[in-house]
Amino acid sequence: MRFSLLLASAASLLTLAACSETRQAASGSPDGGTLVIATPTDADVLLPPLAATQLSREVCDQVFDHLAEIGDSLQTIGDAGFTPRLAQRWDWARDSLSIAFHIDPKARWHDGQPVRASDVRFTVALYKNPKLASPFTPQVANIDSASVRDSLTAVVWFHQRRPEAFYDIAYQVAILPEHLLRDIAPEKLMTSQFARHPVGTGRFRFARWDAGSRLELVADTANYRGRAHLDRVVYTITPDNNTGFTQLLSGQADLFEITTPDQLAQLKGNAKVRAFPYPSLQYAFMGFNLHDPKQPARPHPIFGDARVRRAISMALDRRGMLRNVFDTLGAIAYGPFPRSLGSADTTLRLPPFDTTHAAALLDSLGWKRGADGMRARDGHPLAFTLQVPTSSRVRMTYATLIQDQLRRLGITVDIGGMQFPEFMAHQDARDFDASLNAYSTDPSPGGYTQNWGSGGAHKGGSNSVGYSNPVFDALLDSALTSFDPARARAYAVRAYQVLADDAPAVWLYDVLTVGAISTRIHTAPLRADEWWAHLADWTIPPAERIDRDRIGLGAAKP
Amino acid sequence: MARRLLARLGQAAVVLWVVLSAVFLLIHAAPGDPFSFDAPNISPAIRAQWRAAFGYDRPLGEQYVRYLSSALHGDLGYSHSMHEPVRDALAAALPRTLLLMGVALALSFALGVWLALVEVRYAGTWRARLTHRVALFFYSLPDFWLALVMLMAFAYWLPLFPAGGIVDPVLHDYMSPGRALLDLLRHLVLPALTLTLLSAAAILRYQRSELLEVLPMDFVRTARAKGLDEHTVLRRHVLRNALLPVITLLGLAFPALLGGALFVEKVFAWPGMGYLAASAIDARDYPLVLASVVVGSCMVIIGNLAADVLYRLADPRLRRQ
Amino acid sequence: MPATSLAAIRHELTRPRRAAAPLGTAAGTRAALAALIVLGVIAIVGPYLWHYRPTAQLDIVALKSTAPSWNHPLGTDRFSRDVLARVLFGTRISLAIAILAVLVSATVGTTYGVVAGYAGGWIDAVLMRLIDALLSVPRVLLLIAVLALWNPVPLWGLILLIGLTGWFGVARQVRAQALAVRDRDFATAARALGAPPWLVAWRHVLPNVLSPVIIATTLAVGDVIVLEAGLSFLGIGAREPMPSLGTMFQDAVAQSVTAWWAVFSPGIVIVVIVMAFNTLGDALRDALDPRQLPGHAMHEHPEPVDA
Repeated sequence: MRFSLLLASAASLLTLAACSETRQAASGSPDGGTLVIATPTDADVLLPPLAATQLSREVCDQVFDHLAEIGDSLQTIGDAGFTPRLAQRWDWARDSLSIAFHIDPKARWHDGQPVRASDVRFTVALYKNPKLASPFTPQVANIDSASVRDSLTAVVWFHQRRPEAFYDIAYQVAILPEHLLRDIAPEKLMTSQFARHPVGTGRFRFARWDAGSRLELVADTANYRGRAHLDRVVYTITPDNNTGFTQLLSGQADLFEITTPDQLAQLKGNAKVRAFPYPSLQYAFMGFNLHDPKQPARPHPIFGDARVRRAISMALDRRGMLRNVFDTLGAIAYGPFPRSLGSADTTLRLPPFDTTHAAALLDSLGWKRGADGMRARDGHPLAFTLQVPTSSRVRMTYATLIQDQLRRLGITVDIGGMQFPEFMAHQDARDFDASLNAYSTDPSPGGYTQNWGSGGAHKGGSNSVGYSNPVFDALLDSALTSFDPARARAYAVRAYQVLADDAPAVWLYDVLTVGAISTRIHTAPLRADEWWAHLADWTIPPAERIDRDRIGLGAAKP
Repeated sequence: MARRLLARLGQAAVVLWVVLSAVFLLIHAAPGDPFSFDAPNISPAIRAQWRAAFGYDRPLGEQYVRYLSSALHGDLGYSHSMHEPVRDALAAALPRTLLLMGVALALSFALGVWLALVEVRYAGTWRARLTHRVALFFYSLPDFWLALVMLMAFAYWLPLFPAGGIVDPVLHDYMSPGRALLDLLRHLVLPALTLTLLSAAAILRYQRSELLEVLPMDFVRTARAKGLDEHTVLRRHVLRNALLPVITLLGLAFPALLGGALFVEKVFAWPGMGYLAASAIDARDYPLVLASVVVGSCMVIIGNLAADVLYRLADPRLRRQ
Repeated sequence: MPATSLAAIRHELTRPRRAAAPLGTAAGTRAALAALIVLGVIAIVGPYLWHYRPTAQLDIVALKSTAPSWNHPLGTDRFSRDVLARVLFGTRISLAIAILAVLVSATVGTTYGVVAGYAGGWIDAVLMRLIDALLSVPRVLLLIAVLALWNPVPLWGLILLIGLTGWFGVARQVRAQALAVRDRDFATAARALGAPPWLVAWRHVLPNVLSPVIIATTLAVGDVIVLEAGLSFLGIGAREPMPSLGTMFQDAVAQSVTAWWAVFSPGIVIVVIVMAFNTLGDALRDALDPRQLPGHAMHEHPEPVDA
């Protein structure tokens, strides 16, 4: 309750502030100001095809450009909604197997060199180069190559005519400078100087990175799309959550990416800081290993039976847990997808919360309560370890809640909290009973073929629970090959229902994160896949600027 | 003396090698590796390819020999959690920790010795009892609590000092040298004060018993008999003799502070050695874990060695050996 | 942290010395003893006195983080668990961890020290070099490395790890004592009468080294409680369903502004326990010290002096 009030008051504050902004626009330039973002983890590789951490992606998205940019509705079929970026315009070949992109002649790399069609050719070849080992290789599988028609026209060729061909090249591939990278062996790129000092074409240019401490971007004043409004963005790495929040409250930082509900409660009545909720494409679930961890060829002794999985799903009060963890700011999972995904559907049938039914189901399957109240069958207790990465406070909280709820049903849950690398190692080796996991999709449901399709079920694939159902595979394939968005969506929803009925997981919540932000900062629309997509359009009105906003773009003193 | 020092250095080299090998085994035996970090989109196959590119899929013996030989040639490897060569990461973090610990060490010795004098001088009065109780209280506090309380108190409720970091992330580069130094000091106050309060209590307790040991000795009685007032006796005769063993403590306390610095650095986002070591362990960053543990051990060994040398120089009874 | 970070100082502090005046007051010692007796009783019978179970989540929505009330005198935490029940239980776990761990340290350290000191010669030299090596790795770093790499470590593993990293100082002290006792008249006499070495060590050396071990062990209990709280702060200490006071503190620290009661109670109990053990340790030292090593052995070097 108080949070929605808080949000409402924050929203009205924003409206007020927006009004004052229009007044000030006449008196001063919107350009200028420094945004300080307190973030818990450092960046890794500042090269788009290798960027893995969130901060690296945030930085790469500011420094580099795509050929065209996806619309805020995240439509992935054809080129609907896409707006020009490095490419001013594009022409489809009659057979839809190639697209000619016309590069903006004004576009310049941050070192002053013009952007050429050969950069596109180089970039596509690099993304597909197995020696680079880019995690995006599967996403660009349908792209064959790019060729140079003239210095400003690049033609991208596709293997097959697919609905998401344009999305594949425009969303997944950020264009890189050939003249700076061609002399570096692809396998050395990860540790190259360039990956720590990237040069791109974005409206922010990279300034400096002190590993473990801070990373700075500054406006590219000569940019072909106009300079970023902010002078600079500084990311400060603050591992302790309390410290980061204190930095925000004391004005040392302007934006804090992840707050707890308790911290949000402290914002009440604070005129300088407001909640900053932003959507994402991550969804969290409790996944059941469908195979015996010791003998992968055999079904799991407990979770091999879909009825047990459904009983556990019915025993969990998903709404209560959501309320406990996120207060009123949570987003219940509607099914195996984040709600921001275009194909998300709110009407999927999921096992209802019904402990009586769950108990009866377990009784009927022979899992009877013993003298101590805990269930067993043929001398085997109904007990399992739930693996959770300790780095996720939310998932650790969920684990504790699930443990107590299942105990009441007579199921013993041991919480296996572990550091992420260990968690990952167990997932890879399929060495777990159940785990609290979060998958992140991109705007296309294509990622589902890897995460839930039979193709990813083998060891070393991304489908760690080992789910395999040919009906699901076929429906998903139909969705990905439909050129009509409505039909594609209908197939995807049917595929999700098949997945939900098989219950290889309990769908818990959408990772809908709430940060907190200084009211000085006037944001642009937040895109569901990346809140920072329009960061170059954010402003700090002149009247609200403080010392650090006024230092301008002059070079720092040595 | 020189031969003794050489022998000690030789021992130290052996100790470091043992520590290095043990940590090497320990970290490789643990589950996970530098490429099993949290990034849901990266498939296991790609991770395996990266692993192979850096040789982390080779047999353990081969990795060990290769690490040792390149380390002996001055190449400490590439850190995947800091994304720079290990040497650069150490070069950035070590001075920060030395600054924090150096300041805390100096302050806590000054404070500890002074309070010990107060407690001995005013023995039996409320002043001594209060000092004793307060010191005991700080001595009993977990250091991350004190760090959190200091942060809440002086950066949040009473925002006198910045909440973490080493310098202002934006303005520092634009300040005059004087202002820049002031900025650094402002950021240093809370973490250094936290460490100081925690260790001063320990030093007080130690110094106090040293003072009490010297007090009944003959020369003190002589000094008193000469008619010197109690204050002068304490300062000139008792303290000078009682400070000698504190040198020992100096050598021990410096590396020992590293453990406390680890918590304080985390709370105050102070990217020094403790922070580096903890994040390296979390990320299974093999070369960085090895390097930071070895640096930590080096600090202990150097601390002991320095105490040994200083002690011999300061105590005439041992100088002749 | 005085305890974890300054473990080495502590070893220095607890080494044998002649005390000229008692450190604490008699009233302080009595208060510490009383506190420890109360806490000991709480640790043993406390969990049976209060009807809520420490892990029971009463109502995760309605009773989440409620302020102290008649039903829940210390309030409830973010999982709607009763804080009083948890503190009663956590006191037991914290004390159990600390006492068991220091017993491990004391046993291993005493045995090692007596063997080294009594055997002398090259055995002593090798054993002491090994201690040098072990002491040169910062204890906290070592514990963090092992616990983080193999998280989750079961409770007994945690106790063993803390115990096995805490005996180096004790071993050194005991060795110095044993070395001195070995050549005293009564030991020499026993050897001359043909008593086997283990019997001399058992009958004559051990009783003479016990008092510094007792002092060190008492002081170490406080250290270990603080140490375990620090490990919990990093998420690698005791874990549910066997939470220590440190675990509870860490779990609630993020809500310290909105739900102070969940973080306040375990915090206060930890400080009381640690202060009580430290006061008692000081008092014990005052009481046991006078018959310690003579003269300038108190200036014994932190490093073994080369022969």
